[in-house]
Order: sequence, then structure tokens, then C-alpha cells
Amino acid sequence: MSEANHPPNASPSSAPPKPAQKALTKAERRELQERQRAAKAANAGAKPPKPPKQPPQAQQQQQGTSSQPSTPRPGGSSGLGPAAAKKDAPAAASSQSAPTAAVTDAMRGLRIFSHFGLPKHAGTLRSNVKTREIHPAILRLGLQFAEFNITGANARCLATLQALKTVIQDYATPQDSTMNRDLIKHLTPQITYLVSARGMSVSMGNAIRQIKLYISGLSIDLPEQDAKELLCSQIDTYIQERIIAADQVITSSAISKIQDGDVILTYARSSVVEKMLLEAFDLGKVFSVIVVDSRPMLEGKKLLSVLSSAGIPCTYCLLPALGSVISQVSKVFVGAHSLHANGAVSSRAGTAMVATIAKTHAIPFLICCETYKYTPAVQLDSFAMNELAPASTMHANLPSSLRADLRLDDETEAAQRPNLHALSPLYDLTPPSSITAVVTEMGIIPPNSLAWIPLSQAEQ
Amino acid sequence: MAASPAVLSPSSALTPTPSRPEFNVVDAYEAALKHDSNLSAPLAAILALAAMISGSDIGTMAELLTALHSACTRLQQHRSAIGISAGCNLFTRFVAQYQDHARDFEHQKVEIVNQGRKFVDEAKSYRAKIARLALSFVQDDFVILTHSYSRVVMEALLLIHKHKRISVFVTEARPNSLGQKTCDASTAAGIPCTLVLDSAVAYVIDQVDVCMVGSEAVVESGGLVNAVGSYQMALVAKYANKPFYALAESYKFHRLFPLSQSDVATAASAGGSRHSLPSSESGHSSSPSVISPAVDYTKPKLISHVFSDVGILTPDGVSQYLVSMFLE
Repeated sequence: MSEANHPPNASPSSAPPKPAQKALTKAERRELQERQRAAKAANAGAKPPKPPKQPPQAQQQQQGTSSQPSTPRPGGSSGLGPAAAKKDAPAAASSQSAPTAAVTDAMRGLRIFSHFGLPKHAGTLRSNVKTREIHPAILRLGLQFAEFNITGANARCLATLQALKTVIQDYATPQDSTMNRDLIKHLTPQITYLVSARGMSVSMGNAIRQIKLYISGLSIDLPEQDAKELLCSQIDTYIQERIIAADQVITSSAISKIQDGDVILTYARSSVVEKMLLEAFDLGKVFSVIVVDSRPMLEGKKLLSVLSSAGIPCTYCLLPALGSVISQVSKVFVGAHSLHANGAVSSRAGTAMVATIAKTHAIPFLICCETYKYTPAVQLDSFAMNELAPASTMHANLPSSLRADLRLDDETEAAQRPNLHALSPLYDLTPPSSITAVVTEMGIIPPNSLAWIPLSQAEQ
Repeated sequence: MAASPAVLSPSSALTPTPSRPEFNVVDAYEAALKHDSNLSAPLAAILALAAMISGSDIGTMAELLTALHSACTRLQQHRSAIGISAGCNLFTRFVAQYQDHARDFEHQKVEIVNQGRKFVDEAKSYRAKIARLALSFVQDDFVILTHSYSRVVMEALLLIHKHKRISVFVTEARPNSLGQKTCDASTAAGIPCTLVLDSAVAYVIDQVDVCMVGSEAVVESGGLVNAVGSYQMALVAKYANKPFYALAESYKFHRLFPLSQSDVATAASAGGSRHSLPSSESGHSSSPSVISPAVDYTKPKLISHVFSDVGILTPDGVSQYLVSMFLE
């Protein structure tokens, strides 16, 4: 990354120093003018400063790489990423750039979703924090999160916990403090860094909260290495009980609901549903699976390859085709990102549609989810808490002919679309009325009983 | 029905036979039922299991749970009624949670058996409790529609009759025709009772004020497992906007979550069958196959309230009760 990157948290007004020494080309002068105008407009009452999207786009131009699916460089929620980048291409001959008026307008255009924050990306990561403070395991994890190399609530939580264990092992209590107080302070910037890479999932949040509880419960008399061992073993126990063993109970409960000859429908890719289907097949149950998938994540493809290599008869279709296949389906099993107190379930965007269609066809819709993903928050719609996929993922995986048609790689001014915003929320909310049952390690329960889970657990 | 004998003295059939491993829990179950005709299946199961424990020489909790598990399996093979399964689960859960480190295992076993028997004794008063709850939901001149024969509904009807003017419609409930039993018992007590064809429920529903049925089990979803015809009655009642009440003692609450009628049929068919009708007079030699389940599953949305000794619950509340009870 070139040193020309300024901190992305800088407001648009604190633009990089003007290239006084260089002779300004006409384009550069115009760009400077627009930058000042944007800065004025931004200060005049727009939202709090947002990380400008230009630096990463400038990088994109400099490095000359087209956006690959695995390394999304989001142009911001406006999806003007490529377009805005192209606009600045002539101006950003040098490495400096700043948000143009068009881009600021674009940010304002998506105000309704702006509370999600602009999607993070790998470029902003290292520049906004003293990376010397961040443990390399966390750095690596942050990068993996930002590039969507690790996805899925369980996977992210497990990866986070493993990384935190490494951090704990490498931690040394300072002289004037005790571990149970200082370690939490030490972990905070690490966690903040991860959040800056990609917003925290409910599973991660619950797990980290539990770790902090373990830390504050450490006895001061314990020698440091023993304390670290204790913490790590507590973390291992948490993983074992709340995730691994829970998955086994969920799997066996769910398998008991599968009858020979069933057609099981699943959406996107849930780790626990995948385990359950593989084990049901191992046990000799006779069933077939329909995997429904959707862009931009297309996680179902991986699930499809896992299931079909195991020998399970599978069908694959995209979400719009659901109506054509639904009449053959006996049951639907999906996973979840989080469970809420009002019985609603947050899961991969598109799940709510699958639930609604299943309900109208009187097909049982079952969510398989561990209780550690439960949050006492009440969520009524998909807007309040969500996350946007980086805009570049919208254009990922498209065939080259389509890319040519859409002129995605076209860098001329003519190909820009200032009025087109790309929106790709990652999650949606399935209301309790559409859910038949939630399969947890505490049994198969109707969604309205979710709120009783923490009460029962507290008594244990 | 009303007041049953409070003391259950262990009859000879309930004391274990000398050959310990061969304790016949099925015989114990049947004996318990014979001894007290008002005893419901789950309670008889609990008594049979308690008897098995009291006579055994099991030395550890783990062995005890294993023995309980196999006894439950044998009972369910004998009569696959969901009520038996509910009683077994309840008692097994109780034993698994029982902790008393102060005394040795022999004492613990004795205590477990005593508590089991005490529970059964107390449980006999549940029907009266439920009847009293139902009383406040009925007014003078009400017409109550019920299905087949249920001891708890019978007790409720008799209690209500003492305080209010009611009349009763009861479905025949073929093929067992237990509805006739309800009719006879009501008429004997002075309650005007009318027998209704199973297919005439929709015909009479407009004349009815409230539907009350008993239960073999109330399940985790909040739904009801009861004699076949209950689901139909609930559907008709829902359409006609008449309240549909399920009367169930709390030991009938079961953690099963049926997704369809077949889930319940495999768990609970107490005598249902596919059989052939007798050939008609016109001389058909081949008899068609017949679906004749013993129980069906009524979906929770059709049930207005579940009247139970733990209170009057909505179907959602049943699951909340189960979750909190079974997950301590």
C-alpha cells in the first residue's frame, strides 16, 4: 500500500495536501474545485464524516488490478465504486484523491441504509490504527473477515476464539496491574480492530462477552501461566459445549424429523444443516436435497459440492426459481445468524422469502441454531440491524460477456451511473409467524419460546 | 371421577417378584390400571416404574437410568400410547435430576419411589382443579360440545352441572363409539345430552357455545393429541368462531414436536389400524383398504386455551412451561 493513503476516517474536508508543487492539469484543477465544494457541502450538514471511498479506489487504479471476487474493494454502499474510481482515474494521476461531489451525493442518496455504515474493506484496516498494537493473529483474522474468506456465524466465532486464545497466550501482565483487569483492556483494541474489518456477528459478540466474564472471574492469586491455561481451557469448554456438542444434539433432533423419501430444502449454507444432512445420509436415511442459493454470496455452491460428493442426490437452483420447486418439498431446514427474544430469526438474506413460500404451502420450516446465538434484543424488521455486502461483490462472478454489456470494466466517463445505487444486505429477518420450529440443543421449540432459553440456562 | 380413594396401597401385583431382573413392568402397569379404573395411562406408567425401582437391587444412578430407559421402552412397545411416553419421560426426568448426596443410594431409591407415588396421589386431584377452572368459562344455558369420552371432561361437566344449567352434545367417536359412554354418564347425572354423528359436527356447530375435549397429550408445539376427530372438530370450531378448549393434566405435557399427522401416528397410535370394511351386500369380494387412526394431532393455532392444573395456558404457554420445566 502506498504511503499516499491518508486515514480513511478523515473527513472529506481534511483532504490530502494540495499538490502545490505539481502543475495542475485541467482535470486536476477541476477535481480540486469539486473537492472543496464537496467539503463545504459535507460540513454544511451532511452526516458525520464517512471514510472517503477514494483512497481505496485510487489504490485500485494504481495497482491496476480489477476487483477480484475474493478481495472486494467496496466503493461504498452507493456501488459507485467502479464508476467513481473511473471518474477519478484521469484526475488521480498522482496518488491523491478525495471524494467528489458526485460520490458525496451518492452517499446521501442511500441515506436510508446509511446507518449500516459503509462496508469495510481491507484497505481501511491498517491505516486507521497503530498496527503495532494489534496481534498478528488478529491482523490476519481481520483481513480474512474483510475479504470474506471466513463467512458464517459459527466459523467467524470459532476463528475469533482461536485467535483470542493466541492473544491471551502471548499476553504479559504489566507490573502494576492484575490480569483480570488489564487483559480486558488489552483485548479491547484487538476486538475493535476486528469490528473495523467487518461488523461483529451476534455469535462473536456473545462469545466475547463470555470470555470477558471468564477473565474478570480470574482469581488474582493464580500465577500468570496458570491463569492463561485456565482461560484457554474455559474457552475450549465454551466451544465444546455451546457449539460442538450443541451441534450434535441439534443434528440428532433434526435427523429424527427426516423420514425416508423426504425432499429437504435448504438455503445458502449453514454449517449445522450441512452436518445434519451428511450424518442423516450416513445413518442410511433416504432423502434428496434441494439447495437454494442467491447472489452475491453464492454460498450454496459450496454446500452443493460437499453434499453431492458425499453421494446425496441434490438439486441446485437460485432463489427466484423457488416457486417452481416448492411443491416437491417435504421440509425446509435452514441455519441462522441470530435468534431474537420475540421469536424472530436473522439469517442470510433471502431466508425470509423461503419461509414465507414454505408457509403458504404448509411445509414445515425449521431453523437449526445453537442457543449461544440468542440475543435478548427484539428485532422487528431487517432494517434496524444489518450489514451490507461490499458493492464489488455485486459484480463479482459475472460472466465476461455480461461484464462487457454492463461496461463494468469500462473506465470512460460515459460508463458511469451516478444514479444507480447497488444495495446488498447480507441478512434478513424471518418473523416468528413464518417459522414452524427452532431446533436447538434444548429441544425443538416453537419460536415464541426462545425468550425462555436464557432463563432455563441461568438455572443450570 | 369425582373423589377417588386417596390411598393407593401397594397391591400384590405391584410388589416385585423375587427374580429381580425379570421384573415385569408391563404387568405392573396393567395391574395399576386394573386397581384403579380412574388412573390415566401416564400415572399408571409412573407407578409401574416406581414399583420397578423399589424392588430392584440397582446400586448406582447410572444403572438406574439405564434400567428406567429399558423399562420405558418395554412399556411403549406394549402400548404405544403417547400418554405412556409422557409419563415415562416425566418420571425419568425427575429421577435424572434427583440429587441427594446426604444419604446412600438405597435411601435415595426409596425416596424416589415415595415421591413418585406421592406425585400420583396428588395428581388425582388435578382433574378437580381443572374442572374448577373450566367452571368459570361456562355460563347458564351453555351448550358444550365434546368428543368421545374423557375422564377429565366428564369431571368438569359434572362439576359445572352442579352450579349451572348446561346441555351437552357429544360425538359418537367411531369406531370405538366412546361417545356413547359420555352420553350415558351425563344422562345418569341429569345433564341433557345429545349424541351427534361424527360427520355432523359442522351441522351442529352453530348451536354450540363452546367445545371442550380431553387429551392424550399436549405437545411442545402447543398442539393436542387426542382421539381421532378432535382436529376436525377444532377446524370446524375455528371457522365458526367457537372457542375450543383442551383439558389436560400437566403430566400429559410431552416434548414431542410433530410436524404432521404421521409424526403423531408413529409416536402414539393406540390401536389404530388399516383394516378392511366388511364386504357389502352386493357381493364385493375385494374389500377396500381403510385408514382408521386412533389419534390425530390438532394444530396449536386452532386451540383457544389449554386448561391444566398449572393454570389456563395458551398454546404458546405450553411450550414455555415445558422449556422451563425440562431444562432446569
